[in-house]
Amino acid sequence: MTDRRPGTAGDPQIVFDGVGVTYPNGYRGLSDISLTIPAGQMVGVVGLSGAGKSTFVRTINGLVTATEGSLTVNGRDVTTARGKQLRAVRSDIGMVFQGFNLTGRTTVLNNVLMGRLYSAPWWRTLLGAWKSDDVELAMDALTRVEIVQKAYTRASELSGGQQQRVGIARALAQQPSIILADEPVASLDPPTSHVVMEHLRRINGELGVTVITNLHFLDLARKYSDRLLGLRGGHVVFDGTGADADETVFESIYGRSLTGEDVLDATPNLETS
Amino acid sequence: MSDVPAQPAQPRAARPPRPRRGATPWVIGIVLAAITVWAARGVQIDIPAIWQNFSNASGTLMQLFQPDYGFFPQTLSAIEETLMMAVIATAIGSLGSVPLAFLASRATNPSRALLAAIRFLNNVIRAVPDLLYAAVFVAVVGTGALSGVLALFFFNIGILVKLVSESLDGLDRGPQEAALAAGGTWFAADRVSMLPSVAPSFASQVLYTFEVNIRASTVIGLVGAGGLGVLIDNVRTFYHYHYLSLIILEILVLVLVVETASSMLRKQLAR
Repeated sequence: MTDRRPGTAGDPQIVFDGVGVTYPNGYRGLSDISLTIPAGQMVGVVGLSGAGKSTFVRTINGLVTATEGSLTVNGRDVTTARGKQLRAVRSDIGMVFQGFNLTGRTTVLNNVLMGRLYSAPWWRTLLGAWKSDDVELAMDALTRVEIVQKAYTRASELSGGQQQRVGIARALAQQPSIILADEPVASLDPPTSHVVMEHLRRINGELGVTVITNLHFLDLARKYSDRLLGLRGGHVVFDGTGADADETVFESIYGRSLTGEDVLDATPNLETS
Repeated sequence: MSDVPAQPAQPRAARPPRPRRGATPWVIGIVLAAITVWAARGVQIDIPAIWQNFSNASGTLMQLFQPDYGFFPQTLSAIEETLMMAVIATAIGSLGSVPLAFLASRATNPSRALLAAIRFLNNVIRAVPDLLYAAVFVAVVGTGALSGVLALFFFNIGILVKLVSESLDGLDRGPQEAALAAGGTWFAADRVSMLPSVAPSFASQVLYTFEVNIRASTVIGLVGAGGLGVLIDNVRTFYHYHYLSLIILEILVLVLVVETASSMLRKQLAR
């Protein structure tokens, strides 16, 4: 699954240059972001709700359009890309969502095949007549997240943790060079959260896919990231490793000191652990 | 004195003033009553005359309460035609409504201009009543079931595009966002995410449309568009009220059976 990935580990892959986002209603989502994410990095993004985490990852695949500055992904300009060009950029970027975003009324396999939409001709999509190569890719992706035995089950019948693994398989089926994960564990209990994060880390380690994850919990972000970005009010207020993120850094991101509510495993949870 | 300390009296000044209702409900009531009286005078509703005619028509009424069951075999082909018209019109109407419904929903059509155009077109289609469609098609293609099916087709497009596009508007758009994020076109994203999600409510609305078609196809025959309505028009012209009452009874049974079956099926779909 590594054939399509441009560049080698460490090459600059995602380049933000003075990127800002102002929504049509005037709300300022991001301000003056300039940073470079090299290929193969595992990045955790932390910050309060409304700090711009979601906007940050969504500008990378153009779900949110940057209104200022320039943003290139694998050498292609995302800010000006439209239509076919934009879809080409997106096809190389997998995305995992907080609410899983699976179509509940269809099978797990059909959901994973959504990752093949870019290359499928319209009539195949209309008829649901997928190429056998695409089905193989989808099955491989499901095997990687250890849920292939559920391939023909309706997505709505799975538990939250299982649905999120299907969400990861869908992203993998794109054979992406980057995976964006927007609060992937916010709807899951602590043990399941660790399973999902382990899968993302393994994909990063084994396939060399760049993984950018928004996380609410600081301890999760520290544990599962090579690099930590702290956002506050649409600005990057911290850019360093998990080890650098001490109490002072925390206060600069959250505007207050650390409490038990900011970490996932702070309180023993007898029911689930 | 009990040992529970007495509750200190709440100062009445702390309560909010009771809001004034104003005269608005009265004004609305009087205006509505005035409009109704004006309308009744306009069409010359005359209560004593109603009573007078009612007594005169008592013979007719008695006939209506005595259906002639011997007429039943002669109604069979008309019932069959009514059912067939409803089936065909529902089938082609629901197929035709799918692409239009997706173009008429804010959730599935990103082009605001096309959306407005399709919605306007559908409003025009819905503004024309089924009987008028039937009259027009009888004039264009002649009397018979074909004009009835054409009339019901437009009637169904009007209903289904409105109802299905509203269902689409209310769906969770997360899966669609995921499909777009994977590099799919809007067409592809709608096909793989919104179509499976809207399928149960679409099927339920198709069944509802079939119910409405059964009822409508009995009426549009009055202008010559086939089905039971044609038979109604014939027996009515010759004052065969025993026959007419049998036909009314048949429509009642037909509609009840179709409605019961359809509501049972729709309950299954809602699961």
